[in-house]
Amino acid sequence: MKKFSLKKGLIVLLVLAAGIAVYFIVRPSNRVDFNADVKPILNKKCISCHGGVRQKANYSLLFRSDALLPAKSGKYPIVPGNPDHSEIIRRIISTDPEERMPYRSEPLTSQEIDILRRWIKEGAPWGDHWAYVPVKQQNIPSANDKGWVRNDIDRFILDKLGQIKLQHSPEADSRVLLRRVSLDAIGLPAPKNLAEAYLKNPTDRAYETLVDSLLANKHFGERWASMWLDLARYADSKGYEKDEHRDIWRYRDWLIRAFNGDKPYDQFLTEQLAGDLMPNPTEQQLIATAFHRNTMTNDEGGTDNEEFRTAAVIDRVNTTWQALMGTTFGCVQCHSHPYDPFRHDEYYKFMAFFNNTRDEDTFGDYPELRSYGDSAKEKMKELVEWVSRQAGEQRAKEIKTFLLTWEPSINSQNADQLVNSAIEDTKWLVLRNHAVARLTKVDLDKKDQLIFRYNSYVPHADCEIHLDKPDGPLAFRFDPPKKGGGWTIGSVDFPALSGVHDIWFVYSSPLLKKPEDSGLMFDWLYFTQQFPGKGAPGYESMQHLFWQLDTMQTSTTPVMMENPEDMHRNTYVFERGNWLVKGAQVQPDVPHSLNPFPRNMPKNRLGLAAWIVSKDNPLTARTIVNRFWEQIFGTGLAETLEDLGTQGIPPTHPELLDYLSWKLMNDDGWSLKKLLKEILMSATYRQDSRVTKEGEEKDPFNKYYGRGPRVRLTGEQIRDETLAVTGLLSEKMYGPSVFPYQPKGIWLTPWGTSVWKKSEGEDQYRRAVYTYWKRSSPYPSMMSFDGADREVCTARRIRTNTPLQALVTLNDSAFLEAAKHFAVELQTQNPGHADLQIKQAFARAIGHDIDEQSFEILQSLYKKALVKFKQHPEKSKEMNGTNTVEPELSALVVVTNAILNLDEYVTKS
Amino acid sequence: MKDEYSIYKKAQEEALRYQTRRHFLREASFGFGGLALAYLMGGCKSFGSGNSTSLYDPVNPLAPRMPMFPGKAKSVIYLHMAGAPSQLELFDYKPELMKMDGQDCPQSLLEGKRFAFIRGVPKMMGPQATFKQRGESGAWISDHLPHLATIADEIAFVKAVTTDQFNHAPAQLLVHTGGPRLGRPSLGSWVTYGLGTENQDLPGFVVLTSGGKNPDAGKSVWGSGFLPSVYQGVQCRSVGDPVLFLSDPDGMDRDLRKASIDAINEVNRQQYKTFQDPETLSRISQYEMAYKMQISVPEVMDIRDEPAYIHEMYGTKPGEACFANNVLLARKLVEKGVRFVQLFDWGWDAHGSDENLSIDIGLVNKCRQIDKPVTALILDLKQRGLLDDVLVVWGGEFGRTPMQENRDGKKMPYKGRDHHTDAFTIWMAGGGIKGGVSYGETDEIGYSAISGKTTAFDIQATILNQLGFDHEKFTYDFQGRPFRLTDVSGRVITEIIS
Repeated sequence: MKKFSLKKGLIVLLVLAAGIAVYFIVRPSNRVDFNADVKPILNKKCISCHGGVRQKANYSLLFRSDALLPAKSGKYPIVPGNPDHSEIIRRIISTDPEERMPYRSEPLTSQEIDILRRWIKEGAPWGDHWAYVPVKQQNIPSANDKGWVRNDIDRFILDKLGQIKLQHSPEADSRVLLRRVSLDAIGLPAPKNLAEAYLKNPTDRAYETLVDSLLANKHFGERWASMWLDLARYADSKGYEKDEHRDIWRYRDWLIRAFNGDKPYDQFLTEQLAGDLMPNPTEQQLIATAFHRNTMTNDEGGTDNEEFRTAAVIDRVNTTWQALMGTTFGCVQCHSHPYDPFRHDEYYKFMAFFNNTRDEDTFGDYPELRSYGDSAKEKMKELVEWVSRQAGEQRAKEIKTFLLTWEPSINSQNADQLVNSAIEDTKWLVLRNHAVARLTKVDLDKKDQLIFRYNSYVPHADCEIHLDKPDGPLAFRFDPPKKGGGWTIGSVDFPALSGVHDIWFVYSSPLLKKPEDSGLMFDWLYFTQQFPGKGAPGYESMQHLFWQLDTMQTSTTPVMMENPEDMHRNTYVFERGNWLVKGAQVQPDVPHSLNPFPRNMPKNRLGLAAWIVSKDNPLTARTIVNRFWEQIFGTGLAETLEDLGTQGIPPTHPELLDYLSWKLMNDDGWSLKKLLKEILMSATYRQDSRVTKEGEEKDPFNKYYGRGPRVRLTGEQIRDETLAVTGLLSEKMYGPSVFPYQPKGIWLTPWGTSVWKKSEGEDQYRRAVYTYWKRSSPYPSMMSFDGADREVCTARRIRTNTPLQALVTLNDSAFLEAAKHFAVELQTQNPGHADLQIKQAFARAIGHDIDEQSFEILQSLYKKALVKFKQHPEKSKEMNGTNTVEPELSALVVVTNAILNLDEYVTKS
Repeated sequence: MKDEYSIYKKAQEEALRYQTRRHFLREASFGFGGLALAYLMGGCKSFGSGNSTSLYDPVNPLAPRMPMFPGKAKSVIYLHMAGAPSQLELFDYKPELMKMDGQDCPQSLLEGKRFAFIRGVPKMMGPQATFKQRGESGAWISDHLPHLATIADEIAFVKAVTTDQFNHAPAQLLVHTGGPRLGRPSLGSWVTYGLGTENQDLPGFVVLTSGGKNPDAGKSVWGSGFLPSVYQGVQCRSVGDPVLFLSDPDGMDRDLRKASIDAINEVNRQQYKTFQDPETLSRISQYEMAYKMQISVPEVMDIRDEPAYIHEMYGTKPGEACFANNVLLARKLVEKGVRFVQLFDWGWDAHGSDENLSIDIGLVNKCRQIDKPVTALILDLKQRGLLDDVLVVWGGEFGRTPMQENRDGKKMPYKGRDHHTDAFTIWMAGGGIKGGVSYGETDEIGYSAISGKTTAFDIQATILNQLGFDHEKFTYDFQGRPFRLTDVSGRVITEIIS
């Protein structure tokens, strides 16, 4: 047995050796290719000491400009055109062990030395890595096979298949194809009407109609949003220790609508990165910016809010690169990238784009968009128009922004110089008797009103606001009324002030007996002007409406919002990535090794978005095309979705990747549905996934796509498929996340107050995309199937195959309930015909008729179970979960449970 | 021209993958017998000279593997006191601090420091426990831990451990994943990734929690980060299913489950004949394993049939979710070949904010809960001849201040100490660690490390070393670069190694 497999191994070696020989013979040019030949040597042998992290002898080989400089010794390691005068060559061939490079490591092979020599001789040109070169239009290979090729994808595939002389596979059986394409497009088995229409007459045309219908199906968005949620690190909780609830489901719904509406990908990204900076952003565009508010907020007591604000900003930078540009930028946080052309300070220049948003790791997760109901929205429109007429558009805009977000406000956690006052639990400023506290640099110019969110513990107190010193000029004083318990919004008018000042709170109340008793707690403070239009008709009612809207209970979504001028933050390089050690100040910019920042765009997130979706950006289109390919075929054209850089695995079909990327940007107007249709319509996709002997030998991992994809479904897909197949699925869309069955005792978060409360009615049977996602304790069955905890961006799930997965689908009550529901339905439809029930169960679950052998296996399982349940009626009761003894039903449940565990069931083939 | 060597190497790798994944399984894995053979094959896999090649074998990801060099320990029991126990009441005896009790904290100790809750000028607080020297080694252990005091000579104390994280979640992450932010694999994941596990019927990395709560950093302290998820810790529970979804549904007895798994696997074999997908074979073995796990996990998780003297020794209470039970389980698990057992006990955060979380009352109670079982564990491992193979580690995520906490500048209802990053104690025993030694010293009030300063990275490096790994070379390629548990730091604390 072992000998046999060794033989096979030898065959592989021979095939590969032959391949190498062919490669050397047919190699078109004799010039050294930097990327293919030189860079791998530098990366492997040189760059760990002479790269972005370490620069021994002050010498780095990362950029050409650095590599041509003299090293510490004063000698020139590389003299273009002259290998004999290049120190690098002298050192790699030196026989003195103290001189020879790589120092104290294995010497370079003569082959490698030869490459470097020739390369220097040819002028030491630096080549750019494929992924950093703009996407170019591709020539479509002429490869053809008239009976097979359906679109250009197939020509690229055929071309490569020809190189290893491997045959493509025939088209898959129509029922297999139906299941595959439906799971791929909408994440569910095909809706009955579509399935029937297609299977009745599965022609090419019918297939196209099927694909079009699936792409137009409302469940399409749910399936693709599900994928995006890992990238967006979406969760319904804030993360870290307390991991409290966060309302951010409107972002998930935005995603579903965006995918359903086929929002062009450039716009899709722009809205998520900078919707708030677009002209007159809509509510939906603001919600889109929640993409980068999915960062975690640390509510643990005693945390430094600035530390975790910074952590969130860094996460936004890393996620932007990882998710949208397939690049690991995180390394550059501490030092220049070890392998890729990004310098240390470029990280912080890039971070500067994100460093001026309003969020400050507050407990309230501010800024948040307040979502009003329809009638309140109407009223707000009226109010804004009225203000606009009275006080101009600018003022109207301010008021609208404030009503929508309570911003820009000062978070009280920023107070300092605390005397008998504190930042309670490092979250809110609390003043006790004879308290003093300060807020710095408050813009008070022309301001004559303070609106504030507070909690007063005593009916009367005196709160004074002094300017610049605790005993400086008294700006105003007020007695914040106690209104029940909890947070309230209050306001105080005062004579208009001018300029920017530090403000000092001086607080006392005779009602506070003990020095440690709390008197007044602030959440945020908003200095503004009094409501405009005093005396104008309608003033009273409009002012009343303003307060009504301002204090109205609304649901909220955290969103991005830029700091106003007076709250601007400077950005600095963090030395070795330590946020406490600030280096040089930097301005927003993008790395120089990539496309230039678009002219005429501001250096803010909107400009950044334009840079990312620019057709010159080499990474954006490739990243999404690669990701879509991975979603369909199980592996990306470049396997490392998260890293298209020089350390990633190079694409198997670079031309195809570029062809699709070019097409997406230039021909298809960034339409992802068009991209997907192109893939789904290809003959490559439609192939049978059975492995032929030849395929197994020449391409065991299907890297040449000589057969169709065969991939285990995701945890989400398995849940959805199960609900759909067994008739439990609720098709309800959108809204707050739901709580399906989960075993007891899973959520045990310290201090946190949230509990898992099982949803009622159909909400238990919603698609996985709506399942509540708690970061510190994600839904267990999804985690067993390689789900991501969503704490940070997950660019790729690595599929595993474990016994714990088997336990989920065998024993999880959610799956068992589905099996029972399924059995009851089958029985009702075919009363008394056990064989028919089994056959139908299989056909409905797997999508095609059962073969004779498999049927016999399941039939004998049924019989065995039936005997058992007849002998032990009490077991039948237990199994059915009812008080009735129905051995036939119980036996059928055993069979449906087994079917929902079959390899073919959890696999897309 | 292309580097021939790399092409050759690639070919070798491909060939290897090709053999193990496809052919081997196809021919060997029909039925349970094939599985055992698969382990043997898997067992061949070990570190070469370069080790950046992934050890991950998708078919047999937990098969036992050889470490880089022969390690002294085979498995680890890591006891984490979540919330951070006070070193000043347990092991780090500071009579000088007593003299300062009640005095204002000198300004010099506060300058440039960040505390979680202390504000303004707090008061110093002397040790709230009586200390004695114990054993031949003369280790200082307080009366809070009378049982542990009897085995002082088995233990190596590391007394000048420091961290840079003063909040629970990030500090726990640093201790267990080598970084304060999320996304990195935990110690147990690294270890099972590197060594696999000895018993395929049990999870290789088991997590047990007590104290009614999960640790502050949530499940990410036993998460697999960027390693394949098969290496994440499996939480075993004392109430409900010991492993989630382990029990068969009501009405399904073992016979029927066996029949149904057999049927599933038989249909899957039909399936394999058609598609020839090695994943199908892998799935067949996973179902076989799941079936075995259903028997072996409840067996090992049931402590009732342990003899009475063992229960007496550990102070266990069968049927309850408590630390003592978890400690006994940990012993049973490593005995059965589980590679890494991680215990978290919640409730050590003695701020003084309430009775349970106080130095004067809560801490004494917590000590009482752990003293007997932890001592029993060491003695029990020893009497079974296992102490040489099992490394036991005890510690928290940071230390506590010599100052009494004054949260938000107020007096607290009970005596408490704030989080402290500059000095705390972690101890180890067994697994090739010297007994009766103490490494690292703090100043006379236990505020800062003055000699033998260590970090969580050093502890991690030492644990990996005992298992046979060079922490600087044990890496996993992710995002284009090799990652290691200890990131860019870590020194093996050779002073405590026998």
